[in-house]
Formats: sequence, structure tokens, C-alpha cells
Amino acid sequence: MKKDLMEILACPVCKGDLILNIEKEDGNEVISGTLYCPRCNEYYPIEEGIPNMLPPELRE
Amino acid sequence: MVTINYRSAEIKLAESVYDPAEDSYLLADAAVGHAEDGMRVLEIGTGTGFVSAVVQANRKVKLIATEINPYAAACARSNGIEVIRTDMFAGIRKDRQFDLIVFNPPYLPTSEDEKVPGWLNYAFDGGIDGRTSIRYFSEEVSGYLAPGGTILLLVSSLTGIKEVSERMQAYGLKTKIVASVKCSFEELVVIKATGHSCPGEQK
Repeated sequence: MKKDLMEILACPVCKGDLILNIEKEDGNEVISGTLYCPRCNEYYPIEEGIPNMLPPELRE
Repeated sequence: MVTINYRSAEIKLAESVYDPAEDSYLLADAAVGHAEDGMRVLEIGTGTGFVSAVVQANRKVKLIATEINPYAAACARSNGIEVIRTDMFAGIRKDRQFDLIVFNPPYLPTSEDEKVPGWLNYAFDGGIDGRTSIRYFSEEVSGYLAPGGTILLLVSSLTGIKEVSERMQAYGLKTKIVASVKCSFEELVVIKATGHSCPGEQK
């Protein structure tokens, strides 16, 4: 995902702001990392450039 | 690897992902017809990314897509689509608006014993009346539509074109059929929906 996708992403549960933690990046692309929702205390993974915004019970 | 070339786009297909079919082509043509350079475009449930890729190949738009199936999300990304793995609008901020919102929903009436195994079911299963996803979409979509924005929704005669149109009208949207094609056992249409103009405003 591009870093400016942060302007669009929200926590799927509370719709609140997320905090981006980058593990691996390539220029403007985030390849892996996490999106953290401080209100829900939940982490959403970014894997192979795709943010996974499914609630934990639906993740594969 | 199987690829499809259509209107300057090259789309790779993948296992466990809905292969583009008549519905995808009809919606892609309508989307290119309504997209203009500079628009913010959102596709819900992009699958392989076919419709989005065709739009991106023909218009200079800022496009993002959502998809729940992990195989489809990976496929769409491999086709150059900025994809969020989420259920419909769930991972998108409430205050974000788009000029064009496109959705080829799971629209087939589906009973328990007609479900297909695995993630692919999300591509077909519209619930008992075929309108489960469309009801949710209709309820949510206005919140993400920019003033003057356009929604393009593909449905089948099997889904109930009149019922879907009325559902969208109930949320204050104006609807019009802008494309259609007859297939073997159904008619596919693209419903265009737009927000009501403000009181006193002439359209």
C-alpha cells in the first residue's frame, strides 16, 4: 500500500484513526507492517503490500 | 498463468478468485464511460481487479478497491490495484468521499446448500433473495459518495432489478439503468445511482 492510503484507512470496528508501523518499505510503498488502533488496542497486519482490515476472528 | 487483455488492460487471473465474465465486462465498460480524469474512484469487492484495471488503463483516476477474499486481494494487487482487504466499506474512514463508486456484488439468490466452499462463495452468495450485500451497500454508500458523485451497481434479473432500484431510492438516491445485456438465463444491468439534488436546485 502507498503511504498516503493512511488518509483513507480507518479501524473497521470503531472507525477511528490508525497508527502506521512500517517493517518493510520500498520507496512510497509499505510492504509489511501493522496498523494499530489505540482505541480498540488492536493491530491490523500489512502483508505483501495489502492492509488486512478484517476483524481478528475473520483473518485467515 | 491465464491473463485477459481488454481495453488496454492486462489482467492476471488466479485460483479461488471469480473469473471476469459478462457482468464484469458490462460494468467495466460503464465505469470507463462514467470515469473522468482526476476522479476519486472506489471499487467494492474488486475480485481479480478487472473493472478497476480497465478504468485505470483508460482514465487518470485515483483509485482504491476493497476485497474480502485474500486470494482475490493478492490477485488485484498483482494487477496494479491499490487494494484494502476489508468487508465492503469497513476499513474506510467515514469522512472519505469518492466521485465514482463501483460494485459488482454477489447477486445470486443462494440457499444454504447452494453455497460454494471457501472464499469464492463471497463472489456469488447474495443470500436467499440475492440482495443481502446490496442492502448493506445501499445503506452505507451515500456516506462515501461525493456531492455530484455517481454509483454504478451491477445486478441481474435474478436479483430483482426493480427491488434493488427501489431499495436505493429509499435511501434518497435517484436510479437509472445505463447498460444491459441478455445472457442465457438472465438479464444483467448496470444501475446508475446519484444523490438527490438539493431542494430548489434544478437538474
